Amino acid sequence: MLPWLLRRVAAGIAIVFAVVTLTFAAVHLAPGEPFQPADGRPVNRAATERLRHVFGTDRPLPEQYVRYLAALARGELGESFSKRRPVAAMIGNALPNTVLLAATALLIDFALGIAIGVFQAARVRRRSDVALTNITLFFYSLPTFWLGLVLLLVFGQWLHWFPVGGITDPVVYDSLSFAGKLLDRLRHLALPALTLGLVGAGGTARFQRAALLEALGQDYVRTARAKGVAESRVLVRHALRDALLPVISLLGLALPFLLTGAVLVETVFSWPGLGKLAADAISARDYPVVLGTTLLVCAAVVVGSLLADLVTAAADPRIRLSA
Amino acid sequence: MTTQPRFPHAATALLLAVLAAASCTRRGGCTGEYCGTLVIAGTSDVTTLLPPVSDAAIDRDVFDQILLRLADLAPGGSTIGDAGFVPQLANRWEWTDPLTLVFHLDPRARWHDGPSVTAADVAFTFAAYTDTAVNSPDRNTLGHIASVSALDSLTAVFHFRDRYPEMFYDAVFHMRILPAHVLGSVPPATWQTAEFGRAPVGDGPFRFVRWTPGQTLELAADSTFFLGRPHLRRLIWRFASDLNTAITQVAAGEADAVEVLITPTNIKRAQDAGHLTLYPYSGSTYTFLRFNLRANGDSAHPHTIFADPDVRRALVLATDRPRMLQSVFAGHAKIPPGPMPQLWAWLWVPQLTVPPFDTAQASRLLSGRGWRDTNGDGVRDRNGKKLSFHLSVPSTSAVRQQYAQLLQEQLKAVGVEVLIDQMETATQQERLHSGAFDTALESWNTDPSPTSSVPGNWGRGGGSNFGHYASATFDRQIAVATSATSPDSVTAAWIAAFGTLAQDAPGIMLFSVDMIAAVDSRVAGVRIRPDSWWALLWTWRIPPDKLNERDRVGG
Repeated sequence: MLPWLLRRVAAGIAIVFAVVTLTFAAVHLAPGEPFQPADGRPVNRAATERLRHVFGTDRPLPEQYVRYLAALARGELGESFSKRRPVAAMIGNALPNTVLLAATALLIDFALGIAIGVFQAARVRRRSDVALTNITLFFYSLPTFWLGLVLLLVFGQWLHWFPVGGITDPVVYDSLSFAGKLLDRLRHLALPALTLGLVGAGGTARFQRAALLEALGQDYVRTARAKGVAESRVLVRHALRDALLPVISLLGLALPFLLTGAVLVETVFSWPGLGKLAADAISARDYPVVLGTTLLVCAAVVVGSLLADLVTAAADPRIRLSA
Repeated sequence: MTTQPRFPHAATALLLAVLAAASCTRRGGCTGEYCGTLVIAGTSDVTTLLPPVSDAAIDRDVFDQILLRLADLAPGGSTIGDAGFVPQLANRWEWTDPLTLVFHLDPRARWHDGPSVTAADVAFTFAAYTDTAVNSPDRNTLGHIASVSALDSLTAVFHFRDRYPEMFYDAVFHMRILPAHVLGSVPPATWQTAEFGRAPVGDGPFRFVRWTPGQTLELAADSTFFLGRPHLRRLIWRFASDLNTAITQVAAGEADAVEVLITPTNIKRAQDAGHLTLYPYSGSTYTFLRFNLRANGDSAHPHTIFADPDVRRALVLATDRPRMLQSVFAGHAKIPPGPMPQLWAWLWVPQLTVPPFDTAQASRLLSGRGWRDTNGDGVRDRNGKKLSFHLSVPSTSAVRQQYAQLLQEQLKAVGVEVLIDQMETATQQERLHSGAFDTALESWNTDPSPTSSVPGNWGRGGGSNFGHYASATFDRQIAVATSATSPDSVTAAWIAAFGTLAQDAPGIMLFSVDMIAAVDSRVAGVRIRPDSWWALLWTWRIPPDKLNERDRVGG
């Protein structure tokens, strides 16, 4: 297993390096200038030139690349062009918010998806199965930003059940008790997490249903039934355990979906996470922030997929990690 | 036998406990005149809170609350002379000779950390704004001022290099006085990223409390403010992703104010919310289509279409601007007769008129210049080249996209093909700077004076004259406008310059939006300054009988 692990870690580092290099090239070659006034104010060319010098964008691209890698090797992500603060600090502020959102969305995604998949498999080809197939397909097909906008409009602006954006209520949060603060955070988390979670759950449910139906056709399930084991026990104890294995590997794949979905959902809900940070940075041509967030997301996806492989291997004795 | 699952009950009990505990908030008890909390829905985050290194509108909104000028523009005040200004840090001033301006500071003015505001702070501020290492965007505009010195602790003396109509405006408007005792030890080269920009010390009606990047910025009233205690106790900016989200926050009651609505849809949303009052004010922006008079991507050669002024004039005549205005804004905007926002009300004079919509005259002009539809495809051509061009429009502006489509449709009627290129704002900026465009839909946000933007935008060698318009007459008129000494001659020179521009048609002036702010109806005394929306926030109030629970929190 150790050689496999070392190979995967090496491959992961190579992938991160390649992604950072490609992103560096892409953001610098894309049209646009980081220091132009964005709100239609007159351009002061001398001031712009001076800013280019201060932030080093007046140097040749290869030199900027080497400097960036050298800084990266020292653990420095640079200073934001648009916000004039260390990128590491900005990511440090945004990361917990994205982790909270992604983890909650993941919980909704898998809890709901698995439950629906199991329910459907137990009632395969019945009316409820057909209805849920259509419903899950509907949610799976929805663009996350559109679902977010609809939830925001209905439950935020019209019904006032949930806040329409942000992470806490800036007026009252400090005066709330601990439980009040917790509830305030949950209220703000609800809509963005549901948006991401519902779309993901649509896919997970379909995946879970298919895996469970396949497992239910296996010989050991037939044996269990022949021995007179109750159908619910057959479903949960025998078939589901087997059918959960492919869903675990889906966990690793869910991470990129959640992180890319977060870009849109965080923007819709003004959720101050990595996605919104990256989206704002792209618009502002804030190269260090774009690179910093890309680096982090890429590393998270690589590590997530590695962990998913390890968990799958641990859960399934048929898998050996030596190949 | 079946057993009842215990978990759902436990979960329900826990949820009820949390809800019960959550309802036990520590409620504040603030009552009276000075309890209001105003939440402003901002459309972008703040960049830095150190004025010399920022020119972003959102930063300016916060500066207006925490850092004072020597004097400020009165609502509707003229930038010519000093009559249009009201005291701030300086309680009076006088001209000791035509080139020397003396300010007397108000002895009551204090920095929020204790020390008095002194003339040394004023001299330090001028040195900072003009320091090449600090690299202030305002450095060039201060070029007429030779020096600023402190005569004594409360007297600052400005020496000018020459006489011109906006001497006073330049002396006071571009600089927020900075605390020398805090910033004096910060190396100028590091001001772009200085800590002060994240936690400033001010002297204004509100003091800085905290800034959570990407989320909120909070200020608290300085109850000892020397010009009068602000009635609002807390100011909070909530940063939304865009204008739509900001309006949603205000409509949902999670924010109290948004400075613009722009489209009829947004205005209706605010009206339908029921708890908002709308406040119209003159806008500081204008939008136009710019012609590139040089070849697309090759500024050494003239543009095959737009180098010809008759073709440009024809396109102006072929554009039905009143109809476009009605379609997009339902009347909530005006057509500027020159490159000017509604803010410059003194220039909206009868002498400057918008050319009429006249497709017959447009067709005659185009035909006269040899552009005819020789092959019957509906598009005019000359020497085998179609009368066709690209129009770049930022994808972030729905309004400008609508205008692009309307322009395309209207110009098609006179045999002109318009190819719309939607692109990101940064990409459009890049194209403008490199000259790689035929035409572009641009919006400009201006200062109270035309001096800082018109020469740069339309004058020869101007940093933002992307279309390479060049007219000796126009430049001469601008020079008169920026150097004449009497207000009447200044106005006459600007009118003449805009008349020249209308004749040469380097662009089509399309609209200047009626700015409308939406503010929660419990707020009283709302006054909005067109050039700086929130500059008068410290005079707003929420009457005691209108205070809600959120206003009282933390009191």
